[in-house]
Amino acid sequence: MNLSAMSRVARLDLTLLWRNRTALFTVFGLPILFAGMLVPMKGQEIGGVDGALLQGTGHLGFFLVFAVFMNLVTVFTARREDRTLKRLRGTALSDAEITGGSVLTATAMYAVQALALLAVLGIAFGGRFPADPVLLLAGLAGGAAVFATLAFVISGITPNAEMAQLTVLPIMFACMLGAGVMFPMDGLPEWLQQVCRFTPLSPVVEIARTGYFGQDFVHRTASHPPVGIAEGWLTCVRPFLYLAFWAVIGRALASRWFRWEPRHA
Amino acid sequence: MDNAAIRVDGLRQRYGDFEAVAGISFDVAAGELFALLGTNGAGKTTTLETLEGHRAVHAGTVRVLGHDPHRERRKVRPRIGIMLQDGGFFADLTVAETVDHWRGFTPAARDRDEAIGIAGLADKAGVRVRQLSGGQKRRLDLALALLGRPAVLFLDEPTSGMDPEARHATWKIVRDVVAGGTTVLLTTHYLEEAEHLADRLAILHRGRIETSGTVGEVVAGHGDRISFQMPGDLPVTELPDLRGARADISVDGGRTVASYTVDGVGLQAGLYELLRWADEERVRLDGLHARSASLEDVFLRTAEGATR
Repeated sequence: MNLSAMSRVARLDLTLLWRNRTALFTVFGLPILFAGMLVPMKGQEIGGVDGALLQGTGHLGFFLVFAVFMNLVTVFTARREDRTLKRLRGTALSDAEITGGSVLTATAMYAVQALALLAVLGIAFGGRFPADPVLLLAGLAGGAAVFATLAFVISGITPNAEMAQLTVLPIMFACMLGAGVMFPMDGLPEWLQQVCRFTPLSPVVEIARTGYFGQDFVHRTASHPPVGIAEGWLTCVRPFLYLAFWAVIGRALASRWFRWEPRHA
Repeated sequence: MDNAAIRVDGLRQRYGDFEAVAGISFDVAAGELFALLGTNGAGKTTTLETLEGHRAVHAGTVRVLGHDPHRERRKVRPRIGIMLQDGGFFADLTVAETVDHWRGFTPAARDRDEAIGIAGLADKAGVRVRQLSGGQKRRLDLALALLGRPAVLFLDEPTSGMDPEARHATWKIVRDVVAGGTTVLLTTHYLEEAEHLADRLAILHRGRIETSGTVGEVVAGHGDRISFQMPGDLPVTELPDLRGARADISVDGGRTVASYTVDGVGLQAGLYELLRWADEERVRLDGLHARSASLEDVFLRTAEGATR
């Protein structure tokens, strides 16, 4: 894979994203909306941390669903159906460069959102500098890889770009509910909590919160005890394994379902 | 053929139970233009896409510039140009932006103005692709396919939807490209296009090659005809055999018409025999008509013959 070729595809993606108002809203409008929803949570303490910060660190993970997952499902599906993927594939670009360029743009958009959100949390909500920025980054990067992979899978079973609004819903809702971003999971029965923890966004949020607060957000105790750097990574072994599991499953399904051309062609 | 740029040997392609290509073989020499003709569903596009590396073969072998285009895509792609049958543009980009981005994906690309000139869209450079007509998009497509000065060019119905002027301009570009040494494989519905451009051609029907060769070879022996009105006083039995070809008598608009199909004999020899006989017998041949088979005759006969 040639990085400069990939960056040229990424530049094309950026130009197209800029021209497409709907996609632009998904990538920039929705995060602003969600950031606005943090305001009423400010000052409410949940499990020893500020509610807005808890919610906001959940959004750090949740933004992956818009900027990476939904965005890429739409991009891959629309380009397959209008045969631009096929045309790109007729150039000297390799397959990995073509799709990698789109993943690169989506990830860069997500990185902008995540940095902006971290800044907003710090400035407007009394947030801190992440306790372990490397752990935080590793969790979000792992999440970006998993959601990009899932985008390949879902685009493969999405008949056209309009239908992408529907086919992303199961994973989107599972993530919203499962990761405890929308509401805390403490009230759920134990078995359901276990299922929720397994949804692809949960490990991202657990790692992100642990890295941000320097407290254990993996084991669902009421108090979230503080963890040091090494302890934090050890705490996050299970969520990283879950992410690895999703990446492997996603990759296997993507290689089976992802298509470069419309089915009827 | 030692200098073959494209080799197809026993190619078969299947979609489920449907065999789209049922065992075809042909070679295209370097610098040659080869046309694949056929009705819709004959297997032209499937063959082309296999050679472009878009799909693996079910059986047989294909080679482009000595490589398997599917498995060795990275070796083949930088040296080929592909014009798709339709679609494949980013509608929100302008013509110039499209060319610029594609130049970024193409090693040793032509410069922007040259490419836009090939597309004949110099006055439309700032127009978004969605606003181009069908024919203009085809021209842009051709310009993109030629961007990297490919050794092998694949054209899938390159002039469909074009007005006659654009079609002739496109033919000129294709002829220039071939003169420059590029190998071209094109599919077309337009027999006139094949007659104008092709060094050799093959007629595909239901996944098989029914006939192939130069236009002359393909057409030879496919319905060369001589006809004339029967002189009123001449008994039918007096008509000569033209080196074995016998007269068919039909009635057309109240007139009796004699016609010979002289495939085996050839038009020239058949005509000579007839005229010599007429001269000797002092018979006047009104409405004398001699006609070579056209590609259209062969094409229609192939399509009919194979359905029978």
